[in-house]
Amino acid sequence: MADAVFVLFQRPNFLAFVVIFLWGFYIMLTRYNLVKKLVGMYLVQTSVIFFLVSISAKKGATVPVLMTTTDPVRAADYVNPLPHVLTLTAIVVGVATLGVALALCAAIYREYGTLDEEEVLRKLQ
Amino acid sequence: MNDHLPALLFLLPLFAAIAMPVACLKHREWSRPISLAVLSAMVVVSVLNLNSVIQYGEVRYAFSGWAPPLGIEWVADGLASVVLVALSLLGLLSLIFAGPTSPKDLGGRVVHFYVLILLLIAALTGIAFAGDLFNLFVFLEVGAIASYGLVGVAGGQALFAAFRYLLFGTLGASLYLLGVSYFYAASGTLNMADMAEQLPHLLTSKAVVGGLLFMFIGLGIKMALVPFHVWLPDAYTHAPVSISPILAALVTKVALLGWIRIIYWVLGAKVILYDIPVLLLVGVLGTLAAVIGAVLALMARNIKTMFAYGGISHIGIILIGVTQGNKTGFAGGVFYLLNDAVMQAALFFLAGVAVFQYGIHTVEDAGRIGKQAPWFTGSLIVVALGMIGLPPTGGFFGKWYIILGALEAQNYVAVAAVLLSTLLTLAYFVKLFEAMFRQGPSRPDVPQSALPLACKLSLGVTSVSIVLLGIFSDPIVQWLLNQALPPTL
Repeated sequence: MADAVFVLFQRPNFLAFVVIFLWGFYIMLTRYNLVKKLVGMYLVQTSVIFFLVSISAKKGATVPVLMTTTDPVRAADYVNPLPHVLTLTAIVVGVATLGVALALCAAIYREYGTLDEEEVLRKLQ
Repeated sequence: MNDHLPALLFLLPLFAAIAMPVACLKHREWSRPISLAVLSAMVVVSVLNLNSVIQYGEVRYAFSGWAPPLGIEWVADGLASVVLVALSLLGLLSLIFAGPTSPKDLGGRVVHFYVLILLLIAALTGIAFAGDLFNLFVFLEVGAIASYGLVGVAGGQALFAAFRYLLFGTLGASLYLLGVSYFYAASGTLNMADMAEQLPHLLTSKAVVGGLLFMFIGLGIKMALVPFHVWLPDAYTHAPVSISPILAALVTKVALLGWIRIIYWVLGAKVILYDIPVLLLVGVLGTLAAVIGAVLALMARNIKTMFAYGGISHIGIILIGVTQGNKTGFAGGVFYLLNDAVMQAALFFLAGVAVFQYGIHTVEDAGRIGKQAPWFTGSLIVVALGMIGLPPTGGFFGKWYIILGALEAQNYVAVAAVLLSTLLTLAYFVKLFEAMFRQGPSRPDVPQSALPLACKLSLGVTSVSIVLLGIFSDPIVQWLLNQALPPTL
């Protein structure tokens, strides 16, 4: 048990990811306000993006722009650029989802006059 | 030329979707002919593509010439190509069906509807062809965003269902992305074929086990597997009648196809993680889904809800087939997947006709349809035979091969689950027919107006296809056994 905790604290990025993910999930589950649910959803998405970026980091490495053209390229000198590219795509996907979600929220508000989940459900019956 | 057919299949609906808001700015009525033309072209191209795959073998398409594993790769093999033919045909039929119904339930939003449908079809094409785990995620999300928009496009009760669908779907997509990043962290690649070579050395890695779990939960939400299915019935029940056929027929099945790709093409069929065979685990969930979905369908009162739960139970049956770990079961599962896509489309066409033509929503009201509805009744009988699985429909032969596969794997629980689910399906169709044909004094028939030709056409074609799939089941399954099996089976 103590070992597991020790390992966890050696990787603070994993710890931060787990905390943000669970925090967002908790908000999604417990809040009745639809916009607050969206905040939770966005935290969940962001935590995954954070995780993706954090696994690309290396100690003592620099931005992935080749410094010389002659030497053989040493991969250990540069951070891995691929997760950043994936992250960019994932951010775009997240923003698009959030846009659709906010549009739906606005439409729900116009239709029912409230953003409270329980009240919407009551009006649906 | 043949090598570019998969990319063409994707670009046709994508460009049409992007160009349509501009092209139809002044002329709203153009949106329908353009979409029909695009989908007809897709049907032709997908058949050509299938033909070329049969003749020359699978196509591996590297985008802009970057060779995999560095570039993005698409794989047009037998499985993806045959699913694409079904996808374009059912997309075309759904658009034909939506012709008379969409002005009524979408009002002025007809252009939005066609744009979103084309985007959805483009995304589903991408999922079927994707040879890259991250690419699969992107198309899953494009398709999901289009479906959230489609469910909510008409407003009203559907808005809240669409919002819930969005929350669940996004959670699923995030979990899938998390799984992909675990796999990437463990293997350093995203290409499926490349990862399949890396993974055998990494099966004891906790990252692979965790990643697989997250991916499975994510895709399970997308395909509405039983513990994660709660978003589906509401979304499909409240979605406008023009939209639910295409959603029900295609979205969950293509997510299931993505899962089949990962489990067979990336992991390899016989993979065992920490003494647990992955296929067995998924098979148990499929067994549960097959029975629980059918029980919930029996309890449903709304016709569309009943059919939606029927679809959930059939996802379970397909999973039972593909997880038996032998060729018969796999081919049967894929064959049943094709059948189920047609049957779900037909069921929601029927539900759409009931709502749009006769104004009937619940099972109790079904008696008011009366006996002057030959197209509706005839088509319902054929689809019911297919759903229950009686010969000569495709549903019977699909279940037959699935049961043969389960017997070959000596998995008698799965056989029992398929049979039990069949009985329950019989029960809920009997409930529907009983309500329809019950003689009652105080049941005035609804006023009959002629069924639009488009509705007759889509009902007729799906019913005929259900029978044709049954008649030609033997060559189709033989072809699947020869051409569409994963290399690891």
